[in-house]
Amino acid sequence: MLFNTTIFFVFLAAVLALFYASPRGLRRYILLAASYFFYGYWNYKFIPLLLILTAIDYTAGIWIEKVGAGRKRKAVLIASLSANLGFLGFFKYFNFVAGNVALLMGKPAGYFFHDIVLPLGISFHTFQSMSYVTDVYRGQQKSVRDPIDYALYICFFPQLVAGPIVRARNFFHDLWNWSPPSGEDISSGFFLLILGLTKKMAFADQFAKVANSYFHDVPAHPGMVTAWSGVFAFAMQIYFDFSGYTDMAIGMAKLLGFHFPINFRRPYLAQSIADFWRRWHISLSSWLRDYLYIPLGGNRHGRLATYRNLILTMLLGGLWHGASWNFLIWGGYHGCLLAAERVFRGDRPPAEKWTWMYPVKAAVTFCLVLIGWVFFRAADLPESLRILQQMFHGGPGPMLLETWHIELIAIALVLAALEEKLDWSDAVVKWPVWAYASTVAAMLLFVELFGVIDAAIPFVYFQF
Amino acid sequence: MNPKSPIRRTLLSCLLAAIGVLVFDGLLFHTGLYTSILEPDSSAGTYQLILHREQEAQKRYGDSMIVTLGDSRFAYSPRLCNQLTPRTGYTFRNAGMGGSELRSWYYMLRALDPTANRYRALVFGVNDYGDEDTLDYPDDNIRALHYVITQLRWSDAWDFARSFRTPAVQWQALRGAILKGTVLQSDIQAFLTHRLKRIAYVNLCNRGYEDWTYNFVDSPASMAGLTIDWPKMQATFPPGSTPEQISTTTSWLLHPPSPQTGRTAEYRRKWFGRILDRYRGSRTKIIFVRLPRGPIPRPTSLAQSTTSSIREFASRPNVLLCEEAAFNSLEHPELFKDAWHLNREGIARFSPMLAEQISRMLGPPR
Repeated sequence: MLFNTTIFFVFLAAVLALFYASPRGLRRYILLAASYFFYGYWNYKFIPLLLILTAIDYTAGIWIEKVGAGRKRKAVLIASLSANLGFLGFFKYFNFVAGNVALLMGKPAGYFFHDIVLPLGISFHTFQSMSYVTDVYRGQQKSVRDPIDYALYICFFPQLVAGPIVRARNFFHDLWNWSPPSGEDISSGFFLLILGLTKKMAFADQFAKVANSYFHDVPAHPGMVTAWSGVFAFAMQIYFDFSGYTDMAIGMAKLLGFHFPINFRRPYLAQSIADFWRRWHISLSSWLRDYLYIPLGGNRHGRLATYRNLILTMLLGGLWHGASWNFLIWGGYHGCLLAAERVFRGDRPPAEKWTWMYPVKAAVTFCLVLIGWVFFRAADLPESLRILQQMFHGGPGPMLLETWHIELIAIALVLAALEEKLDWSDAVVKWPVWAYASTVAAMLLFVELFGVIDAAIPFVYFQF
Repeated sequence: MNPKSPIRRTLLSCLLAAIGVLVFDGLLFHTGLYTSILEPDSSAGTYQLILHREQEAQKRYGDSMIVTLGDSRFAYSPRLCNQLTPRTGYTFRNAGMGGSELRSWYYMLRALDPTANRYRALVFGVNDYGDEDTLDYPDDNIRALHYVITQLRWSDAWDFARSFRTPAVQWQALRGAILKGTVLQSDIQAFLTHRLKRIAYVNLCNRGYEDWTYNFVDSPASMAGLTIDWPKMQATFPPGSTPEQISTTTSWLLHPPSPQTGRTAEYRRKWFGRILDRYRGSRTKIIFVRLPRGPIPRPTSLAQSTTSSIREFASRPNVLLCEEAAFNSLEHPELFKDAWHLNREGIARFSPMLAEQISRMLGPPR
């Protein structure tokens, strides 16, 4: 059940109606049932897996608290993390490891392969689980005693499939102190729902058509301009797709009285790679920072160790996205860029002020990010290298984007720049009704005229 | 703050936004604003060109016009028919279009003839008077929406959508009829890609469409030499046959009978019925013509139709059926360019025959 389908909106309307029509004591159960239904609608066979992981971490949380400090506490944490990583590793990385082992043994890559279906959203909910158990272990979070509450934290449908990765303390704060959404929350939630839908259908899916046709058959599309425009189309697709999904998730949560953290802050306006990662998939980058980079030592053990930690964190972040050498290279590439920036910048925080150099810095950062997307999207390493070769040494080739694609981007860029300066999308909920309605109408018109309507293109991050 | 006010505010905003979208859609697509720059080669654009051409023709010709409606199989030349006008007294105009079907003809006629009194006759070209079901079911084909989109009113939306069979197609039709931008998306995007080129092409078509279509001369290609062994369902093609000739012959002629579900009959009763109802009590006669069936017609043993809605219509006072075998003499491979369409020679022979037949059925104009 994709967010950009009619059936999903029917489902959402039914959930909202049931939720608000029910007595307060029943509402958690309704959300839980709706979330399992949402998950099961894709593949009900994986519900037991979700239940098992939920049970493990629920029990681990209580147990950690019960055993107090010491080795036992650490052992429970390790057992819980191992279970999560074990499931994640099996479903996501088994074939990758098996393929490489087979190649090392001189056998065909598929020799040890198993027909494994990746459970929807496993990368996201296991990270949520692990952060919860770790927080309990660190004493930053009390263990949750009510299994319904914990199960809801893991499978809450707006963010189950592709995040944002919500921290337990934020979720349970909202759940345990639930109050009806404020007027601003309702306006903002609805606005974000439509904004996300517009980003997905009118922008991401249109660029997906261009990107998919390019990456589907790279050799058939030679040329420098062709390669840059194909990769640019993917950059637009993945941003509008993922941030659109996140906007919808945040919007839905607001309508239900929950508050998710923002996940994107105009990443393509970043002035440096470090700035980019403060704006892109923020819930993942902050997760990696808190549960990987800092435990590895962060920047506390000298420069070399900092560079190593940055690269290692980003390598693992890349691997989190998928089991392939390309994701590993993508993560490593960003890690190296972060480390290189650190070399030049020293310990000063990355600049965020707008200066006359801003457009140049933003353009350079964007180009570096584009190069990274080649590894992210290409089928394999040889294809990535072929695309890079075309980007830098290709002959002339046709531009894959039409005039109106560029116009769409120009509109988005102006809106993003205004947002950066004026925060208009937060202010829109306070605008007069006619202005708010006009903004919503404008977005709906974009969906009408540019939305890919009859082919529900899946969200990019659903595969992770 | 009144706790209900935010909900009221959001609902009011939704309502206003929905009205805004409808108003914008209406301004753009329910007026001539966008219709005037539709891609002429698209289904909607060609439909609109034909409609415009025929509306203009109404101003030029007098009271004795006959309009024909059909798909690409109703291939005839109004120019050749009208060479007989001094004798027959009738002027033939063609408002049919390749790929079109009953729904499109209904909306075309509603736009062309709002008072249902403009023409001496409407002539519908059909493959068969029998309601044989084939594998192609136009009753549930969303293609119709793309033909008639410019002519749909908001008041048509519900009824138009309900005329399809499956819920998914009904939903698509309802959504498209209300928000025409969803249907014309690719046209708009193509326009945004080449704005000036489009406008120049539209102007060119507006100037030349009447002449191009009226003086159009079809291909001389023929199927001469084609033979079919019906018991074995095998065709022998003449040397030099094109892939299209072979594929159309295989798909159109060499197929076993399809299961008879009654859908064709139901569809014809519904849409021809609507057209006939519009013309109830009108001076306009409605004439059905069975078109030449193909280079080699399928034997009657393969025809499965058990009903004939068209023969049922013949009981109405202003409905006439052309002699079923009137054009059987044209069913020869050398007169067809493929398994479906008459070629240049076929059209040259068919057109005057058609004019004679129709004029005879109508009698001299009064």
